[in-house]
Formats: sequence, structure tokens, C-alpha cells
Amino acid sequence: MKFTRRDFVKLTGGMAALGVVSMPVTPAYAAIAKKRVVVIGGGYGGAVAAKYIRLADPSIQVTLIEQNKEYHSGPLSNWVIAGFRNLEVQRWGYEGLQRHGVEVVIDQATSIDPVAKKVGTATGKKFDYDRLIVSPGVGFRDMEGYDAEAQARIPHAWDAGPQTTQLAKQLQELKNGDPFILVVPPDPYRCPPGPYERASLVAHYLKNNKPKSKVILLDAKDKFSKMGLFTDGWKTLYGYETDKSLIEWIPAAQGGKVSRVDAKTMTVYTDMAEFTSSCINIIPENKANVIAEKAGLTDEKGWCPVHFETMESKIHKGVHVIGDSAAATGLPKSGYAANSTAKVCAAAIVNLLNGKPVGIPSYVNTCYSMISPEYGISVAGIYKLHAGKIIEVSGGVSAGKAPDFIRQQEAQYNESWYQNIMSDTFG
Amino acid sequence: MQRKIIHILFLVGGLLGGGIMAVNVHADAPPSAADAEKAAKEAAKAEAIKAPPADGAMLANTCAGCHGTNGVSAGPGMPSIAGMPSDYLQNIMAEFKSDKRPSTIMGRLARGYTVEETKRISDYLANTKWVNVESHPNSVLATKVNVEKAMRGEKLVDENKCAKCHENNGVTQDDETPRMAGQWLDYLLIKMQDYKNKHLVIPQPHKMQKAIANLTVQELEDIAHFYASIKR
Repeated sequence: MKFTRRDFVKLTGGMAALGVVSMPVTPAYAAIAKKRVVVIGGGYGGAVAAKYIRLADPSIQVTLIEQNKEYHSGPLSNWVIAGFRNLEVQRWGYEGLQRHGVEVVIDQATSIDPVAKKVGTATGKKFDYDRLIVSPGVGFRDMEGYDAEAQARIPHAWDAGPQTTQLAKQLQELKNGDPFILVVPPDPYRCPPGPYERASLVAHYLKNNKPKSKVILLDAKDKFSKMGLFTDGWKTLYGYETDKSLIEWIPAAQGGKVSRVDAKTMTVYTDMAEFTSSCINIIPENKANVIAEKAGLTDEKGWCPVHFETMESKIHKGVHVIGDSAAATGLPKSGYAANSTAKVCAAAIVNLLNGKPVGIPSYVNTCYSMISPEYGISVAGIYKLHAGKIIEVSGGVSAGKAPDFIRQQEAQYNESWYQNIMSDTFG
Repeated sequence: MQRKIIHILFLVGGLLGGGIMAVNVHADAPPSAADAEKAAKEAAKAEAIKAPPADGAMLANTCAGCHGTNGVSAGPGMPSIAGMPSDYLQNIMAEFKSDKRPSTIMGRLARGYTVEETKRISDYLANTKWVNVESHPNSVLATKVNVEKAMRGEKLVDENKCAKCHENNGVTQDDETPRMAGQWLDYLLIKMQDYKNKHLVIPQPHKMQKAIANLTVQELEDIAHFYASIKR
């Protein structure tokens, strides 16, 4: 049920009537003083939380602090790298949220004071809050040799935007015969199937443009998301496991873990070998974003522990962490899961600010990956909170053996998934 | 082929079930760590699914990532489900759940909800407002309605007596019949082609199956253009 402003007035009126005997007389406006929610980060998590709080209770004042004027979606940005999608259609602005009455502040949040309940920004502004939502996405851990200077030459493209374009350009300039080297991080990281979708779509590009080249995946793991479906697709489309394969996957057990990079010589080093190419893409090990770290919201593993009913931090009261930065939720670090935790958090905050009990949460993940522009696969899950844990009660990946039209339909659904989740986020 | 897929799913289900049974039967031989972990996971899942349901808004809002905020789809390949009758939505979900109605993803999702949860989702969505595609800001993404095709479609709808169930040019809806007027054209096309697809066994009234079998893909496209063009 939606909580309307009228309900709110009714409810507070009722409470005042109950307390009338012993409560001191307070002016009527005090009871309906605006509650303030501040949201840090306007992506798949934060923007949704801001919108859904306003939808459920327009009396709550919501301020979104986001450092970029525009957002570029990570999901589907691999299509841009492979050259069959324009970055422009990945770009979203904040006008939609403003239409829902969200105050959008383009600035960088630099400090959180959970005691005084204040957020500070790079331009020196201060924002008071009753409840704070932190949704900053992931940050990256250091890798030997992968400093800011190296990043200018070797993009991670794990935040969509200029680096996506840069990597697309490097792929276009790759010499036919040279490898595309993709360094994959250990779990947990944002978008578990993402590196393998990227490898697939780069292989699709190479097949049509540079058939003497191949993708070399240097992986810090021995298994990965949707693995059976990916490798089946690679066998069908890219000659996987033949001597002509366009994809070579080197797992950790076979020395795939990269320990350092030399950007001057464009070489990455594993314990056993070194790989050189003009086109290297390093996805560094992930952790919670730096603002969460600076605010002391992270645990020893580098992620933010939360209570799953509300997504409220276990460390700082009144501060909620949603999306990729939240720790060990049992959900994958996906855009859809960020959307889902945002809605759980939004509903909980609306209840808390209105003095109502927090409801029962429900979480969903739905995520598509492309093996070629005509070949889509998916993973989905429904999750319930039980005995303090988020448990997947149903779900799984696409059928292992399926006719071509099923893969084509899932490819088609991927684009519609994108339109819907983006309009749910920014519309 | 779809039958084959279902068959494979059953087989996998059977194997998993077998694995769990083996753990129970050979009580004296210690189960492997992987088996024990799998059994514990299954037990937790069986417990969790019985946990009390969330309210309708919480449940239905999780659908919005694919079906749009309040069930109004922004993606041409996904149907708008806003304002559809609760009984219709519950029926469809039950069919997805049992795989009686083939799906790429909906079966996996529908099996995560109890009957009560499905009812709450459906009741919530039944109370949201339908929006015709042409009024949607994303309508630029849809395949444009072709007037000639729509006119041919109107004739075909008439000849094939579609209005016997899809009354009022597809505007009227009930517990067995969805609204089609103003639905995304691309979605209608995908579904029409599914109905022609010999690999898929879709639960449809006998008379509809017969009518569709006799129509060409081109004719089904015309029909989709017709229903998408209705603006009421």
C-alpha cells in the first residue's frame, strides 16, 4: 500500500489524540515538520531509493548528492566497447528525479558525520539528514604498477563513461594478430558475468574484424558466473577450446592471477608468465567506494555490513548502505540487486520516518549477458530474508540446451530490460 | 524442443533430488562436504520460502526493473502489465510456475513466490493505471504502427473472429484475456511468432490455436499492428 500525505496527516493526528492527556501542547506544524533524507550516489541504487521514497511519501524531503552531471550505465556498456552501440544511449540525466521532487546537487560528498547527522561536500556545503543513504558503487584496490598514470594508458572501463570509449578505440586500433588482454578480479566484484560478456563481445568484434587476434582472459578465479552457458556459447561461436579459438581463458589454477603491471612496456605479470599487448584491460580487485571507507562504514574485508531488513549500517545508526558497497548480502553485485536493495531501503526509511514498523523485504535479481548481439543468456533469482540471511528461494540460469530462437529472444529482452530498469531509475 | 528443455530440467531436478536422498540413505558413510553444503542450502531454501510474505507494493516493485515502474513497461519487448485483472495475472504466474506456459525467464521467477505472494503482486498491479504505448515517453523505441498493416490486421481480426474473446478491439480484459490494445507492438510480434512456433506448446484455447495455425507470420504481424494501433 502506498503511504500518502493524507494518510500521514491522519496518522499523526491520531497519535496526537492518543497522547493528548500527558503530552505538552506542541504547535501543529512541529508534528509535520519535513523529514530529510540525503542520498549519496545517483546510480542503479541511489537514484532508485530517492525516487521510491518520494513516490511513497512526498512529504519527505530528498536530496541526492552526485558528483557527475550525467550517469553512464555499466550494463550494456560492453556493447559500446565491441562497437555495436553508441555511448550516447548509455547516458542518463537527473531531470526525471527532479520531476519527482528530488533535490539534485551536483557535488562530491567528501565527509559523513553520523553523530551530528551531516554530509559535507567538496565545495564546502553541509547537508543535514534524518536518514542517510550511501550508494557510491565500488572502489578499486591497488595493484602493483596500476597507478593513475598507468590507468590513463590501461583503462578498467568498470565505471562506464570516457574509459568505455577509450577501450573501444584501443580495440579498433589493435593490430590483427595481437591479443586483447583482459585481467579479471577475484570475487566479490561488481557485475559477476561482466568480464565474460566483455570477452564474448570483443571476440565477436575480432571474428569480424581481426580474426588473427584473440581475447586472453587472465583470471584470479577458477570458475565464474554463468560459466557453462558462456563456454557453450564460446564453443558454438568462437571455436573455444580449439587451436583457432578467439577466446583463451587462463584460470588461477593455471597461473591466471595477475600480480603486477608495467604500463611503460604494456606488460602484465602472473606468477608464471608475462603477457604484452597494445590493448590491455585491467579490472582491479573491488572494494566499497572510498567515501564509505572514509566514513568508517566498512569492515575488515572492505565492504559495508548492513541489517538486511533496512539496509542500515551495522556500524553507524541512521546511515543505510545499498548497492555494490553493501557486504555479503547473498545477492550478486548487480544493477538489478542495487535496484532491489534500494527499494527495500526506501520502504524501510519511509516507515521509520513515519514511526511505523519496518515491513518484510523482498529482493530480486535479473541479469542478462550477451555472447553475441544475437545470443543472450540470463540469470535470475527471487530472494527472501530468513533467520538473518538473504536466501535465494528460486532462480538460476537460462536452460543449458536451447534452440537459437530462445537465445535471440533473450538478446531482445536484454535491450528491453535496460530500457525498463533505466526508466525505473531515472524516469 | 521446449518439451525437451522441460525434460532436461526434470532430469536435473531428479539428479539433485537423488543427491539429497543419497545423503539421507547412506547415513553411516559420511556425506562429502559438497553434498552436505548442497543439502543445507536446499533445507534453508525450503524454510525461507515459507517465511511470511512482504506486502503487495514491496513485492510488485521488484517487477519494475523489467516491467516498468508500476507495471508500465518502457521496453518494447516486455509487456505492460499495469491494470490487468488480478485473476489473469495470477493464472499466468501459475502457468509460468508449472512450466505449463513456456518462458525464457518467468518460470524461474514465478517459482520464487507462494500463491499468497503471487496474489499480492497481482492485486497491487491490478490497481495501477494502464498507459498506451503511444503516450509513453519511450514510444520512439517501438516499431511504428503501419496503417496499411493495421487495416489488413483489422480485416483478419474480423475474419478470424478474434473479438469473440478479445472484445472491443482488445481493450476489454478479464481473468483469461489480457488487454492488447495499446500494448508494445514488438512484444505482440514476439508473442504472435511464439504462437506460430512448432517448438513451443503454449496453453491457448483450441479455437485460437486453430486460427493461428492457419495464419502466416505476415498476417500475425498485421494483427499485431492492428491491436497496437488502438488508442482507447
